[in-house]
Amino acid sequence: MKPEFFTLLRSPAIWLVLAFAATMPLWLPPYYLGIGVLTLIYIAMALSWNIVGGLGGQISLAHSLFLGVGAVFTSALLLKFGINMWVGMLISAALAAIMGVGIAWVDFRFKLGHLSFALITLAFAEIGELVVLGWDFLGGASGLYLPSDKGDLLAFQFGGAKGYFWLALVIAAGCFLVNFAIINSPLGYYLRAIRDNENAAQAVGVALLRNKAIAMAISAALTAIIGTAYARYVAFVDPYLFASPAVVIEVVLIATIGGLGTPFGPMVAALLLVPFGELIRGNFGGVAPGLHYLVYGVLIVVVILSMPRGLVPRIMDVMARRRAS
Amino acid sequence: MDMFLQSLAQGLLIGSTYGLISLGMGLTYSVSGVINFAHGDLLSLGMFLALACFTAFGLDPYISVFITFPVMVAFGALVYRFLIRPLVGSHVLMVIQLTLGLTFIVQNGLLMTFGGMSHRVPSKIEADLILLGDSVVLRSALAVAFAVSVALAGLLYFVLTRTDTGRSIRAVHQNAKAAALMGISVDRVRTLTFALGVGLLAIAAVLLTPGTPLHPSQGLRYTVISLMVMVLGGMTNFAGILLGGLLFGIAEAFGTVYVSGTSGMIVPYAMFILVLLLRPEGLLKRRAS
Amino acid sequence: MLEVVGLNAGYGPVNVLEDVTIRVDEHAFFGLLGANNAGKSTLINALSGTVAARGGRIMFDGHDITGLGPEKVVELGIIQVPEGRLVFPQMSVIDNLMLGGYSKRARGQRRQRLDEVFDLFPRLAERRSQMAGTLSGGEQQMLAIGRGLAANPRVLMLDEPSLGLSPLFVQNIFKALSDLHKAGLTILVVEQNLHLTLSHATRCAVLERGRVVVEGAGDELRNDPNTRRAYLGL
Repeated sequence: MKPEFFTLLRSPAIWLVLAFAATMPLWLPPYYLGIGVLTLIYIAMALSWNIVGGLGGQISLAHSLFLGVGAVFTSALLLKFGINMWVGMLISAALAAIMGVGIAWVDFRFKLGHLSFALITLAFAEIGELVVLGWDFLGGASGLYLPSDKGDLLAFQFGGAKGYFWLALVIAAGCFLVNFAIINSPLGYYLRAIRDNENAAQAVGVALLRNKAIAMAISAALTAIIGTAYARYVAFVDPYLFASPAVVIEVVLIATIGGLGTPFGPMVAALLLVPFGELIRGNFGGVAPGLHYLVYGVLIVVVILSMPRGLVPRIMDVMARRRAS
Repeated sequence: MDMFLQSLAQGLLIGSTYGLISLGMGLTYSVSGVINFAHGDLLSLGMFLALACFTAFGLDPYISVFITFPVMVAFGALVYRFLIRPLVGSHVLMVIQLTLGLTFIVQNGLLMTFGGMSHRVPSKIEADLILLGDSVVLRSALAVAFAVSVALAGLLYFVLTRTDTGRSIRAVHQNAKAAALMGISVDRVRTLTFALGVGLLAIAAVLLTPGTPLHPSQGLRYTVISLMVMVLGGMTNFAGILLGGLLFGIAEAFGTVYVSGTSGMIVPYAMFILVLLLRPEGLLKRRAS
Repeated sequence: MLEVVGLNAGYGPVNVLEDVTIRVDEHAFFGLLGANNAGKSTLINALSGTVAARGGRIMFDGHDITGLGPEKVVELGIIQVPEGRLVFPQMSVIDNLMLGGYSKRARGQRRQRLDEVFDLFPRLAERRSQMAGTLSGGEQQMLAIGRGLAANPRVLMLDEPSLGLSPLFVQNIFKALSDLHKAGLTILVVEQNLHLTLSHATRCAVLERGRVVVEGAGDELRNDPNTRRAYLGL
C-alpha cells in the first residue's frame, strides 16, 4: 500500500465531508432525503463498477447479475427459506464473487478483448434477467415484496429513509476506500497496465487471469451488497430494475461522464447527475418521461467527443493550468 | 412432428431477419472496427418511424419503408459523420460508451415522443396465413420477411463480390491503407457502410413490425440478439452471420414451443453460450469477407 | 515532372523529413536510397498523400499538389506500390487487380490494362482466381506491381519491392521494372538494395536522417564517399 492511501485517511477534508453528509438525515426534508439515499446508492454502484470498468478498462455490463444476486436472491432466501438478510447478503456477495471470477475466466479463456467483453457480458446480463423473470423462486415477472420494515437491525431493517441514508453512506464510503486502496496497491498498477495494453502487460509478467479475477470478485461482491441494501430500502424487488442491464448501463454512463480510473470521477458525476435526474423526473416526469435519461445520453456524447477522459480529469487539468499560470 | 416442423419453419423465417439485422452490424464492424451498441435502438427507431407513417398518413409499413429507408440511411450517415468518425482510431472503449449513450438518447427520445404504452402497426397482410403441406401454418408476414431477407442478403453478396463499390468495401476491411492507395476514399466507404447498415434496419423493422407490439424499451433486446448472432457468425464472416441468425431464430422458436413460459426465451442464449464454448471463433471457422 | 521542394513531414512530434528537395524527370527511373529510418517511406507516403506535408511543396506537371488526399493523387496517375506489398489477402488475384483499376482514371481501360499485366507476369494469369493471401511472397510482389499498373500510372512509386524476396525474384522484379521503364513509364523506387538500384536506375538520391545527401546519375553515386557513409554510418 502506498503512503497516499494513509495520507487520504488522515486528510481532515475527507472526514469533514463524511461528517457533514452524516448530519444530512437530521435536517433534509424527506423528499430530498430520498434523493440522497438514491444518490449514495448510485455513487456506490459507480465506484464498485469503476474497479473493473475504470481501473481495468473492461466495460462489464454483467454487473446487473451481481446487483440482481444481492437484491433478488437474498430476498428470495429470506422469503422462501427464512434466511436472515445479513447472512443472505454474505451468501450473495460470495456467490457474486464466484460469478465474477467465472466471467473473468471466460474472458481469459477466450481472449475476449475489450469489445467482445462488453458484448458477451451484455448477453450474460440479458440471460440473468430472463432467469429471474422465468423462475418463480426468484419472484418471476411480478417481483418479490419484502416484509414491512420495523427497524429491526438484526433483520437488516434500518427503519426509514434516515437509517438507509446512513447505511448507504457507509457502503459508498467503503466503496470509495476500496477504490483508493486498489489504486495505491500493486493490483492497481496491474489493472492499469492491463487496461492500456493487455498483451504488453502479459509480456512483462502481469498475471492477467489472477488480477482480472480479483478485481471482478471484489467489484461483484460490493455490487451484491449494494443490491441487498437497495432492495431492502425500496422493499419491492422489481426484476425490471434489479435484474435488467439497463441500470448498469446507466451506471456506466454516469461513471464515464465523470471520468474513469480515479474514484473521484464516478463519485462526482453520480453526485451531480442523480439528484439532477431525480429533480427532472419529479418535475417533468409526467409530461416528458425519460427526459433525464435523454439528458444523460446527450451528456455522454458531448463528454466523449469534447473531453474524452471525463469531466473530473478535465476540471483538474484546467485547475492545474490556472495554478501554473 | 407437426409441432417440430412448424417451429422449425417459424424459426427459419424469423432467423433470416435476425441475420439481416446482424449483417448490418457486422458490415460496420468489419469496415470501421466499430460496434454499435445502439443498433437495436436504431431498429426500434425504424419501427416507430413506420408507426409514425401509419398514424400520420395511414401508410402500410410495406409502403412506408420507401420513406423510412432513405431517412434512416441519412440518419446513419449523420451519426457516423458527426459522432463516430471523430473516434475512429481512439480506444475502442470510447466508441462502446458513445453508442451506449446513443442508446439512451434514442430510447428515451422515443419514450418522450410515443409514450410508454405498447403500440401496434397494422398492415393489410398481418392476418393472412399460408398453409405449407397440411400441417405447417405460417403468417404471410413471416414468409415475406424471409423472402426479403434472403433476397437482400443475396443482393448484398452480389454487390460485395461483383461491383466496384462492394470490392472497395472489402478492400477497406482487409487493408485500409492499401485501399487508400487504390484511390478509394476510406472515409466515404466507412460512412457508406454505416449508413447502409442503419438503412437495412429500416427494412428489417418493417419485416418485424406486423404482429409485434412496439415499446420504446425493446431496443436493447435486439442489440443483444444482433451481437450474439454476430459472435456466432465469427464477427466478420457474412455467411456465418446469416447462419447464426437462422440458428438463433430456430433456437428461439423451439424454446417458445417446447419450454414453457419465460424459460423458453433462455434457450437461444443457452445455445449461444454452448456454441461459444465449443467454437469460440464462430460457427464457420474460415475467415471470409 | 514530379518535384519535391523543401519538404518537411513526420508523425506526431517527430519530424522525419527535413527540407527534402528532389526532382524526378519524365521517363526517369529514379532510385531513392538510404538506410533504415532514413525517411524513404515517409517521403513516398507524403507524395501519395497518406502523410501530411508540414512544409514545402510537391509539384506535379507544374501544379502544386501539396495536401491532396490519396484518392486525388491516384487520379493524377501517381501510384504507390506499398512496402510489404499489402495485397488484399482474402480476395482473388483478379479482384485485387480490379481494385487497382478502381480510380476513374483507370476504370475505362481496365480490361486492357489487366491483359498487359498478365503479359508481364504470366504467373498471375495462371493464378487469377486464387486468393492473394495464399500466393508466395514473390507472387504477391508481382500482384502488388500489377495492381499498381492497373491504375494506369504516370509515375509508379515502389516502396522496397525487394523486401523479403529471394535474389532470383528480386532480379525478376527489377527486370520487369526496367522493361516498364523502357516502354516509357516513369519509375520512382525506394530501396535499401544499393547495387541493384544503382545498376538499374538512371538517376539516384541518397537520404540520410531525413535529408538528401547526394544526388546524381547511378554511376556517379557508386563511387561517392557520401553514399557509403549514408549506408554504413562511416
